[in-house]
Amino acid sequence: MPVWLALTLALCWPIAFAAASDFAPVIEGRPLAFPADTGAHPDYRTEWWYITGWLTDETGIERGFQVTFFRVGTGIGADNPSRFAPRQLILAHAAIADPSVGSLIHAERIERALEPLAGAAMGQTRAWIADWELASDATDGPERYRTRIEADDFALDLELVTTGPPLPNGRGGFSQKTPDPSNASYYYSRPQLAVEGRIRLDGTDRHVTGHAWLDHEWSSEIMPEEAQGWDWIGINLHDGGSLMAFRMRGRDGSALWTSGTLRDGAAPARTLVPDEVRFQPGRLWQSPRTGTRYPVEWTLEVAGRTLRLEPLMDDQELDGRRSTGIVYWEGAVRVYEADREVGRGYLEMTGYAQRPDSL
Amino acid sequence: MGILGSGNSAALRHVFLASLRRRRLATALSLLAIALGVALGLAVQLIHTAALDELDRGMRLLSGEADLQVVGPRSGFDDAVYARIALHPTVAAASPLLEIQARLPGRDETLRVFGIDLFRVAQVTPSLLPIVETAAADGEDPEGSDADRPDRLAALQPDALFLSPAASTRLELDAGDAVVVQVGIGEARLRVAGSVPSAGVGQVLAVMDIAGAQQTFDRIGRLTRIDLRLAPGIERGPAQELLRDLLPPGVTLLTPEETASEVTGVSRAYRVNLTMLAAIALLTGGFLVFSTQWLAVVRRRREFAFLRALGLDRNSLERGLLTEGALLGLIGGIAGVLLAYLLTALAFRLIGGDLGAGFFRGVAPQLRVEPVLTLAYLGLGVLAGVAGAWLPAREAARMVPARGLRAGDEAEVYQARPRRGAALIALSVAALLCLLPPIGGVPVSGYLAVALILVAAVLAIPGATVGAMRLLPVRGSLVTRLARARLAAAPGQAVVAGVGVVASVALAVSMAIMVDSFRDSLDAWLTRMLPADLYLRASDSGASGYLDPDAVARVAALPGVAGVRPVRFENLRIGEVREAIALIARPVQDTSGLPLVAGTLDPPAGPGTDPPTWISEALADRLDLGVDDPLALPLGEQIQTFRIVGIWRDYARQQGAAVIELETFRALTGDRRTNDLGLSLAPGTDPVEVMSAIRATLGDRVSEMILPGELRSMILQVFDRTFLATYLMLAVAVTIGLFGIGTTFAALASSRQKEFGILRHLGLPRRRIGTLLALEAALTAAVGVGVGLAAGAAIALVLIRVINPQSFHWSMDMQLPLATLLVFGSAMILLAALAARLAGRQAMRQDAVLAVREDW
Amino acid sequence: MLSIENLSKRFDTSLDHPLFEQVSLHLSPGESVAVMGESGVGKSTFLNCIAGLEPVDGGRIRLRDTEVTSLDEDACSRMRRRELGFVFQAFHVLPHLTLAQNVALPLWLLDEQEAVADRRARAMLERVGLGRRGDDWPRHLSGGELQRVAIARALVHAPAVVLCDEPTGNLDPERAQGVLELLFEGIHNAGAIGILVTHSRAAAAHADRILRLTASGLVADVG
Repeated sequence: MPVWLALTLALCWPIAFAAASDFAPVIEGRPLAFPADTGAHPDYRTEWWYITGWLTDETGIERGFQVTFFRVGTGIGADNPSRFAPRQLILAHAAIADPSVGSLIHAERIERALEPLAGAAMGQTRAWIADWELASDATDGPERYRTRIEADDFALDLELVTTGPPLPNGRGGFSQKTPDPSNASYYYSRPQLAVEGRIRLDGTDRHVTGHAWLDHEWSSEIMPEEAQGWDWIGINLHDGGSLMAFRMRGRDGSALWTSGTLRDGAAPARTLVPDEVRFQPGRLWQSPRTGTRYPVEWTLEVAGRTLRLEPLMDDQELDGRRSTGIVYWEGAVRVYEADREVGRGYLEMTGYAQRPDSL
Repeated sequence: MGILGSGNSAALRHVFLASLRRRRLATALSLLAIALGVALGLAVQLIHTAALDELDRGMRLLSGEADLQVVGPRSGFDDAVYARIALHPTVAAASPLLEIQARLPGRDETLRVFGIDLFRVAQVTPSLLPIVETAAADGEDPEGSDADRPDRLAALQPDALFLSPAASTRLELDAGDAVVVQVGIGEARLRVAGSVPSAGVGQVLAVMDIAGAQQTFDRIGRLTRIDLRLAPGIERGPAQELLRDLLPPGVTLLTPEETASEVTGVSRAYRVNLTMLAAIALLTGGFLVFSTQWLAVVRRRREFAFLRALGLDRNSLERGLLTEGALLGLIGGIAGVLLAYLLTALAFRLIGGDLGAGFFRGVAPQLRVEPVLTLAYLGLGVLAGVAGAWLPAREAARMVPARGLRAGDEAEVYQARPRRGAALIALSVAALLCLLPPIGGVPVSGYLAVALILVAAVLAIPGATVGAMRLLPVRGSLVTRLARARLAAAPGQAVVAGVGVVASVALAVSMAIMVDSFRDSLDAWLTRMLPADLYLRASDSGASGYLDPDAVARVAALPGVAGVRPVRFENLRIGEVREAIALIARPVQDTSGLPLVAGTLDPPAGPGTDPPTWISEALADRLDLGVDDPLALPLGEQIQTFRIVGIWRDYARQQGAAVIELETFRALTGDRRTNDLGLSLAPGTDPVEVMSAIRATLGDRVSEMILPGELRSMILQVFDRTFLATYLMLAVAVTIGLFGIGTTFAALASSRQKEFGILRHLGLPRRRIGTLLALEAALTAAVGVGVGLAAGAAIALVLIRVINPQSFHWSMDMQLPLATLLVFGSAMILLAALAARLAGRQAMRQDAVLAVREDW
Repeated sequence: MLSIENLSKRFDTSLDHPLFEQVSLHLSPGESVAVMGESGVGKSTFLNCIAGLEPVDGGRIRLRDTEVTSLDEDACSRMRRRELGFVFQAFHVLPHLTLAQNVALPLWLLDEQEAVADRRARAMLERVGLGRRGDDWPRHLSGGELQRVAIARALVHAPAVVLCDEPTGNLDPERAQGVLELLFEGIHNAGAIGILVTHSRAAAAHADRILRLTASGLVADVG
């Protein structure tokens, strides 16, 4: 559940009157169909393909990375025959967390969907802005994703091979976000992606391997008025299992809704009900840039297990005050259970500096 | 040491410079002439520098960091090109633009609107980036969290328009206000959603989303420009070649400099010509300084002789007189500079930066102090003063003091050798210069020829005087014989008195002939170009209004309308010519046609022949084409070859124009829009009724109608206004010339006291002496006017046959306004006689002698 | 010391016969001489030759150590400025300068400070009896007064030689007398050489010597 949602909605706030009713509603009971549902759903307002993971290069240095492609329906230009009609926008964001740098290296792009320059294809995953791309391919062997990002400061060219079928979250892919079921999305994850490829940093290409996680989520209405922000994790467990959990916070900091999906080892995944997930903030880190305080360490109680989250590095804040106006924390974390590392993944925390959007 | 080298600065001040103050009238006129010349020249330069600077700034601002720009005809090109270009590996960033001159109904104004892709524009032309300003965005939100967030997507709304600060001021519109723009004959309502803060103070423009612009202005699928930034390491030249292959015919790639020079290039000839007019004013000023200084030298002959006897050396004397001239030039120059800034400020307020010629629309230039330019013109003023004083100063320095000390030998100064050889050489060189081509589009050699003809005329005066006196009958009254003898013996007197006359008459006559020829040709051209009874258009041809076929049909069906003749204007880029040329699609063969200078209106049409086109003289010149040559034009993004069947005269489009049949155009492009509609009315129909009927049919605010008569007189009015400044300058020059004669004879009268005394002793009545002076003046003026007329006719010939075709690529029929010239010449002669007579009478009244001498 | 040796001058190169020939004259400071002669014999030309205003056709003129006849045009101008004073029959008082400015003119040409020049000019005017009229304009003056101004101007820069060309030709006899007294007193007091060209025997009588210019030279006046 990347913060880019909030970012996009924030960009769109003056057109908030283009109400959710202009878009298709998210209703429980619509089964996800693959591979068709890995493609874009332009009838819904927002949609994203969100990849996070850990990479290790030849020298053994570990880094976190994140690549997101976003599709936003603007509600503008439905009747405009112009090829430039901005009905859909495509956004892309990529970041690398390198402890030797100490803060995130990131880049972003935004374009209107305009064949063949930028778009999000239906039927199968393919989203692109010029030479930035994320696409899936199932023709030969296991289904795999390929993503390429060429930014000024860094580059990513990764192949991500799936190790299992898509994992629907919530009730058969219907993921409720608040007590009100109209705040919901269609949501599936691809945990335990085996990554191999190349990254460029400081002008040097490095061969990397690792593990990653892909979320694909689409909706028309997620965050209610009373929500202040959320905390989210996506963890690849070392035993081959996976854990997704999120908490929607109210304005007073209390949990409005929590949920998750846990798969232990090879066991079938199970959806966690709100009572089964508890987020407990631990050590606070204060950003020298924005002054915002983030709980960079957490204790999670999930289905009776107690897990501890520790960040790859403290400063994984994204300061968007100059561009998007949104400040949030999104970074690589290690997961411990009784002092033993049991998994690695990504943590996202929003709404600590300010509320990310007005919807 | 003083300026004089030897001799104290007190001597300079009291002896030389103070003399300027003593002859106030002459000094004032010299100052006026120099001041006017400097003022006009500098004002023209200031206005154009400011306008060009602003234009250039605008161009740079609007091209941003673009390395190359894809440009096409005015109506734009297919936007499918965009993706091809944007994906090309040599291109790092491509930003599509759709530029529209939006007519604002009810405002009598157009607004330059740029349709942009706001996600792309920041990469190439960040200055066009719009900023959303909502009425509620002023911190009224209690949380303050939403309002201060950039909300760029609001700019995607199809009706959101963003105004540059200058546009906002000009149109008096703020965020939240509605703006109505005309599209065809309809109106569309837009909303001011914010500003374009980086557009710069002088740029009147608006920005909106490109999709909204295409939709609003009915230009779906069209772009007018793509700005490109090339990938690192890619050179412009090779990229230009590679990318050009991706473009359809008629669409090309230019560097921003080339795009800018297109605009400045078109106006260059116009600017140079205005500058030259100012230079002529300055030249007249120089002649005037010459005339007054020469007379002053003659008058002060004994004073100089005496000063020389006291030990003033030659050089000091010469320098003193040159300093007088320089001071005249300096004071005149300073006055001129002040006047120039005043005029410029006034011009910016009243008519904008293009002096009404329409070259610099959409820029609001600011008056700025231009130190270099100002100093240069001040320098020119001083130069005119010094140059005018140069010959008189040399004459004074050459004088033998021992002779000067003797009274009453002024006639000696008026000795002048006829310089027939020099005059002939000057004329021959002038003739040769006329054969040379222009330099950079400016007829430099033509202007040099004009200057040489003037020089030749001045050189010819002594010879002409002597010759003319020989022609006079030897018999005749005593007075006639005396006058004849005097002038034949002292032709230099005619030079001094007549040089102002010759110069001013030559310039006046040449301009009169040129303007008269031009006006006649223009009038005939307008009659030819405007054969209909009534003209209708939705807007200027470059702006967003047009008539669709339905509107044309509705107008054609109105009672009283016997026929309609639609015209479509477009502009095209053809390979060889960098500036876009005008294309006029209209019915030709079955109408009153075109003002042809070559070819035919009714070419034989046969199967397999290319469609006909008629090209303007400018295009024929620039492409070096003649009748029967083929001409390939990119129409509808393909090349169509036309056959040139005629060349016509065009005073409207310097860049060149081609006329083709409307049907051909429609068949090739599918464009059925009409810009201008000529209506022929049924006999006896009142055009005013038809006009009301059209207004009722099409709506009040979206159409402009004009009767050809009104249009014609409007154009001729503009024409006359353009030349008004010229006429004013000429009037000043002619007055100055006349004044020169008057004052010369006043000075002569007072210095010839003894001669006249003797004549009176011999029994000549006082009255007859006045007659003698008047006759001498009349003869002098007659010679001056005669030489001036001849020189004027020669200069007119150069203007018409060399300078105009080279500057503007248009021809005109030479027309001699004989009656006007005859009246003008006779009036000059009579006025000269009268002036001399008056001056002489004043001079011969003893008490008045001093007064006159004091003044001169 | 002014010495003229064998000076000869043709009126015009086109005329073959000379105007005067073999004119010699030696004058010491403080000495004055009147030159008389028939009309047309070249009395004014003689003065012009001394002043270097006209070229000579033969002979030499030396002023102190300077050979005037060998000076070029500009050197002549400098010599005149420094060494000569002029008084003309036609006064040549510039109408657009005040009396003081007219008198200061030679000092201006010698690069004198304007204030100094003004002071000396006014002192000189005082000596010719026009002390209070320095700021007057020439048009308010009578002929005699104008010539006094001219005399002041001729003496103001203490020249070595004062050349007077018929200075009283335009004045009635009474005034002429006063002007001549003033002139010669000035020349004498200044220790200058005075050369007076005149028709008037009465005027000539003021000089130390009277000579007569003839076609064949200067001879002592015996009239």
